[in-house]
Parts: sequence; structure tokens; C-alpha cells
Amino acid sequence: MVSLTQLSALILLIFFVTLILFFSNRTRQGRVPALRPIAAFSTLKGLMAQAIESGRKLHISLGTGGITQNAPADTLAGLTALEYLSRQAAASKTTPIITTADPAVMLLAQNTMRKAYGPDKEGAVKSAAQVRWISPEKAAYAAGVMGVLSIEDIAGNVMIGNYGDEYLLMGEAAQQQAKPITTVAAAAGPDVLPFLFATTSHALWGEEMYAAGAYLDRKPTHIGSLLAQDTVRWGLGIFILISVLLKAFGVLP
Amino acid sequence: MTRLGRIIATVVAISAGVSVLAGYFTDTFSSLGFIILGWAAIVIAFAMMLGVVNILRVHTNKIRTLEKGWFYSAMLIVALALTLIIGRNGPNSAAGQSLFDYILRPLEASLFALMAFFVVSAAYRAFRMKNFEMALFVLFAIVVLLGQVPAGFQLWPDLPLIKEWIMRVPALAGARGILLGVSLGTIATGLRVLLGADRPYADVE
Repeated sequence: MVSLTQLSALILLIFFVTLILFFSNRTRQGRVPALRPIAAFSTLKGLMAQAIESGRKLHISLGTGGITQNAPADTLAGLTALEYLSRQAAASKTTPIITTADPAVMLLAQNTMRKAYGPDKEGAVKSAAQVRWISPEKAAYAAGVMGVLSIEDIAGNVMIGNYGDEYLLMGEAAQQQAKPITTVAAAAGPDVLPFLFATTSHALWGEEMYAAGAYLDRKPTHIGSLLAQDTVRWGLGIFILISVLLKAFGVLP
Repeated sequence: MTRLGRIIATVVAISAGVSVLAGYFTDTFSSLGFIILGWAAIVIAFAMMLGVVNILRVHTNKIRTLEKGWFYSAMLIVALALTLIIGRNGPNSAAGQSLFDYILRPLEASLFALMAFFVVSAAYRAFRMKNFEMALFVLFAIVVLLGQVPAGFQLWPDLPLIKEWIMRVPALAGARGILLGVSLGTIATGLRVLLGADRPYADVE
């Protein structure tokens, strides 16, 4: 027997899927909406060029989350950003350092790098070798990233994924290096957002990180899902507002 | 990966995702969902072994080429070997447990203790008033900080009440707004994988 909660969740999911397919199709037909500018994505687009110009490296952290549990959507958002950066890396023959806390994410990141290099087998092997699994322990992962930031000559630091309090250790380590490091960071948890605010001026707040595919690659499905999210958000907002008014006027018990 | 391989990978990934999702709605699929999650745990255990190989490869390369910081890499490999030798009877053995209790945990605690200093230096940077938004941020931060401590009450008895209001109304409303957006973003990301639009497991777009 399906409960009311399960039924409403199912209806919301079907509605969401329909909206994604509808808006994706519209985008494919050329009706691409104007996306509001997000400064962090503009910085991210120029980060690889900045690293190449300065002769230094780019570090990409995919967070402490995994792919089967512990905020997989955040990790997938990080992998989407990596996909964009890996293509830039392949075009410029540079190899960014990628760190992960989950071994399965390490394999996906290696796959993403190989994908970007296409027929260039040598480049693909070289770039995949720069994907480093550090540790599944959050503190140990943070220590490893702090090591990478201080030992390797890093110019740009991209941190998109799932983070907890350990973010501050890494974000602040990037700030305290003698040579300035540009950090683009994203986190979903409201507890971590103040740390982002304090450590970087190029932050992606909460849901903005899931828009990476729409902003960086202009993928129709990503733009479609972004529009679907906005539509559902408006719907929920109106629903909440009407509920509050009905409650205030004593219509609802 | 051949074209057939890509199709099989996509079909397996989407079927597994749909089965686990269906498990939330019907009991028929819930057991299947658990079985698939069990398989995922086995795959991740194998991935962990590949992770150890990755660590060894990255750090032996650093030592071989005498890269900057090669000494730390050597220490890491020695520590890895020692952990394997000392913990050969399993993580629950007395020796294995000692490693966790007397080395790993104190090291983690020390690292997190550094956060107190990092919070201070980060707050110092964040509290520099550059515009109206920052001034508002600093004002609210001061009210909340003073509202938390007895000195705040001594200064103005209503300060803890104002702090409570800030935490309960604007801060909570903001956090809920963020969480709502994150939830929708998470659903959209999951659905894109289920629809086969995002395939991080495939070797082509």
C-alpha cells in the first residue's frame, strides 16, 4: 500500500521528469534562456588559462563525499565541473591534480580525464595518473589536500563536492600560501557556507553548484533541469505562501 | 569501451537506479534495492584496493623523480607498510585498535583543533567591511557573538533575545531556503543520471 507521502513524492518526481524533458527539448530547439551571471563560474572558466600563464598547476578537489552515499549529487556536480576543466586541460596539454576521498570517485575522475583526451592515449594515461585518492577519513583527506596546496605549485584551486567542517582547513590553507591561490569553492550544507564566505570571494552557494553543466557546457538537459528546478521552486513557494495565509486567516486548522 | 559496452553500461546503471528508486515506493522493489546496494559495496571494496595502488604509484613516482616533498611520500609509504604489518590480524585486533586509538585519532583531533586558529584568521578577513552587505554581516555577527556570552547580557539584557530572534527567524529562513534549493538540485541531478543524460561511467559523451 502506497502512503500519502510516497504518493505525493511520486507525483512530484513524475512532474519533475516531465518538466526536465519539456525544457530540455525546448532548449534543443534553440530557445535557450538567458542565465543570470554567476561570478564564480566566470572565474572557473578562466582558471586553467590563469594556471597556464603563471606556469603553475590547477588543483581540483571532488570533496569528501561518495557516489553511492554521502551526497552523491554534490560529487556529480564536481565531476561535471571536472569534465569541463579536463577538456581545457586536454586542449592545452596540461595536467591538473585531482584529489578524491572516495575510491569509486577516483575511478570516475580518471574516466573523465581519459574521455577528454580521446585518441591521445599518452595524454590520457598521464592525466589519469594525476588523479589521486587520498583517504576516506575527512581529516586525513583535508591534511592531504593541505599538503598538495603547500607542496605543489598551485595557482588555482577548485573545490566542488560534499564538504563538512574540514572545508575550513583546506580553504584557509589555500588562503595562507605565500603565492596567491584563486579558490573557487562550492558547498551545499548551510553549516559550511560561512566557511566559504570567509575563505573565498568566488563561491557557489548551495544549489548553484548543480548548475555547473548549464553554465559551463550549456548542455540542453542541464539547462532544462535548471528551468525545471526554478518552476518547481516557484510552485512550492506559492504553495507555502497560500498555506501560511490560509493558516493565518483560520481557514486551515 | 565498444558501442555495445556503452549501451550495456547505460542499461545497467539506469536499471539499478530505477530499481533502488522504486524500492522507496513499493515493497516489491525494496529488497532488490538492498541487493543492488550490497553489490555497490563490493564494487567499492575493489575500488579501495585500486585506491591503494594509486597511492603507491603516485608516491613512488614522487620519490623516484625526487619531486618537492618526496620525503613526505617516503614517510607515507613507510607508514602504509607498517600499518599493514601491525594490523595484519585485522582492524579489531589489539595492535590494530592501538593504531587507531593512539595514532590516528589523536592526529585527527590535533588537526581539527587547528580549526580554532583558522576560524580566527578567516573571521578576521571576513569581517573587513568593504560594502553595505559586509557591514550588515558584521553587525549581525557582533549581535550574535555578544548575545551568546554573559557580557552581552550585562551590556544590554535584551541582547540574548535579539540573538535568539536572529537565529530563529532570518537565519533559519535563509537556511531553509538554501536547503530547499539544494533538495531540488539533488533531485534534478539524480533524475539526469536516471534519464541517461549524465553518464560519468561512460567513456564518451
